[in-house]
Amino acid sequence: MRFVTRPLAAALVALALAGCATVTAAPAGRFQAGAGQEVTLGRMWSDITPIMINRGKKVRVLSIDGPLLNALYVGSGLVPGDNIVRSYVKERPTPLMRAGMSASERLEFVSDSVAAMGYQRVELVRPRAALLGGAPGVRFDLNASTSEGLGIKGTGVVAEVSGKLYLTVYLAPAEHYFQASLPEVESILASARITG
Amino acid sequence: MRAGLLAAVAVASLAVGSAAQAQRLAGVRPDLASDEGGLWSVSDKAEIGARQSAELDRDPALNAYVRDVACKVARDHCADIRVYVMDRPFFNASMAPNGYTEVWSGTLLRAADEAQLAFILGHEISHFDRNHSLTSWRRRKSTANAMMVLSAGVAVVGVAAASSAHTYDGASSIMDATRGLIDVVYLAGMASLFGFDRANELEADRLGLGRAAQAGYRPAAATEIWRAQMDETQASDFKRVRNSGARTNIFASHPVDAERIQALQADLKALPDAGAPGRARHRTAIRPHLAAWLRDDLRRRDFGQTLHLIDRLARDGEDLGVLNFYRGEAYRQRRGDGDLALAREAYLAAAAYSDAPVAVWRELGDLRRKEGDPAGAKAAYDNYLTKAPAAEDAWIVQDSLNSLTSGK
Ligand SMILES: [Zn+2]
Repeated sequence: MRFVTRPLAAALVALALAGCATVTAAPAGRFQAGAGQEVTLGRMWSDITPIMINRGKKVRVLSIDGPLLNALYVGSGLVPGDNIVRSYVKERPTPLMRAGMSASERLEFVSDSVAAMGYQRVELVRPRAALLGGAPGVRFDLNASTSEGLGIKGTGVVAEVSGKLYLTVYLAPAEHYFQASLPEVESILASARITG
Repeated sequence: MRAGLLAAVAVASLAVGSAAQAQRLAGVRPDLASDEGGLWSVSDKAEIGARQSAELDRDPALNAYVRDVACKVARDHCADIRVYVMDRPFFNASMAPNGYTEVWSGTLLRAADEAQLAFILGHEISHFDRNHSLTSWRRRKSTANAMMVLSAGVAVVGVAAASSAHTYDGASSIMDATRGLIDVVYLAGMASLFGFDRANELEADRLGLGRAAQAGYRPAAATEIWRAQMDETQASDFKRVRNSGARTNIFASHPVDAERIQALQADLKALPDAGAPGRARHRTAIRPHLAAWLRDDLRRRDFGQTLHLIDRLARDGEDLGVLNFYRGEAYRQRRGDGDLALAREAYLAAAAYSDAPVAVWRELGDLRRKEGDPAGAKAAYDNYLTKAPAAEDAWIVQDSLNSLTSGK
């Protein structure tokens, strides 16, 4: 069942069913990424949050060429019980933020959530100390694959500030797309401001 | 007695192939212009997808083992089938019309021995040998449902892929398992077109049992693996799964229930309670994958089922470092009442074995820190850093260690 876990199938179906879900422009400049976090975009992105029906409610999703080619997930102010990917049925839960997570549990939360999006062979690598909006966090890279075998690379950062979780995860095909937008993503990561 | 005699006759007659449906000749491809030829060509396309899939497990030793068992039960169809091991944490196996077979890692992890795997493969090969996909296609294609689905413009590859779901129940279970990630309407429509019916399933069970027994495997393995699936369902964390019987297990929902086990038991009476279980060989083949497959299984987040599976894997006292570590992981991730204490116990048990992953010390340190045991946490963190000084996350553990002394 190769198409079973295609990450975007559900988003596209939702778009078709809802009809009114719209993608909006996110022009260069300040971008309010939910409550409590602001980033600066160096170019025009699309805010595809409304069509990404799998995302958790405190997660915004930006893209340049469409979600299969580059997707920037920005989660702001997650509290215990919140998720990055939402669960549709009780019997198939998705990873939840918990109170008092250890640093490795925060990384596990990110990588298990990326797996819950439908990516295969998700591997979080090179965790390293970094700042997110001035708060101590962990920067990491990701390797994964789509079900169909397309290689995916990712990078991101996660930090907990006063019991709330802030994170950014950028995912794109390893061939061309990841590298093409990486400088822009790096400057977005560096621009994050936590306001919550 | 009479029932036993009938069963003996039934099994004997299956062995010589006088069942209702025609047997396939070995090595023969159907005419491309026929409806069967059409089914084969869509299956060929789906098979190309399987070969490119990220989930395909390419471990040569594992593939050689599964292939060998498949050939033993396939006999003269050995050259007609291609078995692909897919790393997917569900109990499932499938057979496409053209002999493209999938065995999922969740099945290899749950088969206790070679004999149980032989039964599963024998079941799938019997679907192939008896042309079940063709007969169900012919039976269903005239229905209104078929018209509806085909007029919806469904892609050809998807048709063949869905055919591997076996039954409507099977597809529904896959939907339950991955809801939110699939096109529900599409899959249900395909499965209703291609599903094998109950008679096909019972026949595949009986023929599969015959094939495994003839290859020298212990026949009782057939009912054991179905029972284990029913037991695992009962171990679920979720009431709805427990109440659904084995139907929420994908393969099991072809469907495994008491009646199906009874049917097999009748056939078992006619067979000698002898034969090879092949337990050590099976374990040797899956051992290098235990850790990765258990990690995949944890991502299903039905920790009760994962713990049940680990208990079964631990029954003979092997691989206790790895198994206890993942038992600890299941409790830690579930975090129910008392689970963190159980996680600590499991990590400690794991740490006594040489095959324990080094991460056991990091997790023990984190747990003890959480429990307010800084001395215990320090000892565990020190152990981690001594055993894995070059680990990518050594600096995180060092940070945690520093925070113990700084009192942060
Ligand atoms: Zn079957």
